[in-house]
Amino acid sequence: MKTARKKRKFEWGYLLLLPGLGYILFFLAGATGMMIAQSFGLFNYTAESRFSLEYWRGILNETFVDDLLYSLKIAVCASLLCICIAYPLALIIKKLPGERTILSLVKIPMFIPALVASLLILNIIDYHGILNIILVRLQIIEEPLRLRNDSWGVAALLIQAWKNIPFMLIIMYSAVEAVRRDVIDAARNLGAGRLAVFTQIIVPLTLPSALVSVILVFIRVFNDYVISKTAGPLYPNTISNLMHVTAYLYNDWPSAACIGCLMVITAVSFVSAYTYLSKKLMQNL
Amino acid sequence: MAEGLSLKNITKRFGNFTALNHVSFDIKPGEFVTLLGPSGCGKTTLLRIIAGFLEPDEGEVWFGDQKMNDVPPHKRNTAMCFQSYALFPHKTVYENIRFGLRMRKVPASQHRALVEEAMAMVNLTGLENRKPYELSGGQQQRVALARSVVVRPNILLFDEPLSNLDAKLREKVRVEIRDLQRKLGITAIYVTHDQSEALAISDTIISMNQGAIIQKSDPRTIYDRPVSKFIADFIGTANLVPCTVTRQQGSLFQVQSPYGMLLAEDKDFPHDSGEYYLCIRPEDVRPVLDGEPAGEDNILEGVVKNSIYMGNTLDLFARVQTEPLRASVWKDYHIEEGTRIRFAVPRSKIRILEG
Repeated sequence: MKTARKKRKFEWGYLLLLPGLGYILFFLAGATGMMIAQSFGLFNYTAESRFSLEYWRGILNETFVDDLLYSLKIAVCASLLCICIAYPLALIIKKLPGERTILSLVKIPMFIPALVASLLILNIIDYHGILNIILVRLQIIEEPLRLRNDSWGVAALLIQAWKNIPFMLIIMYSAVEAVRRDVIDAARNLGAGRLAVFTQIIVPLTLPSALVSVILVFIRVFNDYVISKTAGPLYPNTISNLMHVTAYLYNDWPSAACIGCLMVITAVSFVSAYTYLSKKLMQNL
Repeated sequence: MAEGLSLKNITKRFGNFTALNHVSFDIKPGEFVTLLGPSGCGKTTLLRIIAGFLEPDEGEVWFGDQKMNDVPPHKRNTAMCFQSYALFPHKTVYENIRFGLRMRKVPASQHRALVEEAMAMVNLTGLENRKPYELSGGQQQRVALARSVVVRPNILLFDEPLSNLDAKLREKVRVEIRDLQRKLGITAIYVTHDQSEALAISDTIISMNQGAIIQKSDPRTIYDRPVSKFIADFIGTANLVPCTVTRQQGSLFQVQSPYGMLLAEDKDFPHDSGEYYLCIRPEDVRPVLDGEPAGEDNILEGVVKNSIYMGNTLDLFARVQTEPLRASVWKDYHIEEGTRIRFAVPRSKIRILEG
């Protein structure tokens, strides 16, 4: 009797996992499985559903490669630009009086949706934007500069930086703040000047956070749709845009699913390689 | 080489709060000095001024014959052991200890030998490649100690280095610190609020309160002949009661106190009469059993309220007239609570103090 009750309790206990595990299984594994199946022609909404490899054969065309390279380029550039600004900024803010106020002000871009941010910045750099008006009035340039939808993606890069620096700054600021005062004092006491304290203590202790924040921003920018759509080049554009166009404009859901699969594979392999390299770097430090 | 140290009129304020108020003292080369006082008395501030982490608002810091006020911390040849150890978490034990050598541009060819020597001094050999988080508290403190002595500083600074260790280990490490300092002949300044640690480790104790020095003397003097009620109370335990004093002749005083009329022999007390405090250490109180002669000693008669067996002593909390009296007596006495008893206190063991 006793053992039977014990056994039943044990089985019911698994149900407690449902809210977490069920969520993961249904939305993550389920959706990913659907995507993989769709890429092979199954669950096709727009045509007859049947297994086929033709979508995978057709996907690796020039447009896809260009868009993939563009996505990687903008993600690498944006995450490097962000860390180059956020890291020194975190160190400077730590030294300033009123650091809390500055920090909460700097966080504001985090609460502004990407679309709004994009349009805000476009108002500044647009053909008839504030920047061009000022430059023309001051007779520095004769014709307004084409800054949005430029072929390299400078506008998109700027907006990505504007949107992601605060996010990175929060991570970097807490990393800088976590370096204990007495550890720095100990270093100074043992003969370390300002530069040595920075290179020997502060950098090695904050580098793990810097590495993590770079990869987080990389993923955010790599997967971006809105900012590139509004401010990025007309061609090439991000992989997300390509996927959207393929699914909704060309009504080709299986090909869009292939793009989705490749996006996930690229992101995961990039993150894995990066994680491996950063581990090596930290070990050698 | 060991160097002496002089502080001249050091004053430090934080806003309206005066942390140090015209503090001056000299320390001889090779001396082990403890700054002792309750928290907030300014002892750590003083240590940080000596290390150069804080600048005094007034006054001068001298190492030997060199004025150090404008010398930044990394150019003063001091080495500090922190309460939190402050080891570099990302470096191995070996790299932690070597850090000071690298910073002070000691030729790299000497590093290994110097680090190994320092590690041997504090019994850390074999732990070179561990990270600080893999060590126990005592081991971490030893790494901090090795890291400090390896650079051969002129002055070693300790900021409550043992307060995070358990009692047994504390006693062990403090003996090691003392031995090491003697062997290397380095001047040491040690901050603590633990009076037994200060008594055990120092050549000289500088007792501080509210940003000022109250007494500077060797451990025996500061314990036996405290100059004020504050020190008698802070260092060790003491029975302290208000009293009226009249000088009889020489150093003999008649003392009217809640314990009754007593005679005290105090060579240091400068005044002839007035209202002061008398101080009796519990271990100077001796029970007088029936039939025992008391000689010239003062006799205090009371009732034992609590009798607590401590192992090494028997602690008695008695009431003499209306006043509590604490006595710490030989452990083999069997004295029950409620016993009426006579206590003897030698005249020379009663000290008269200003409030």
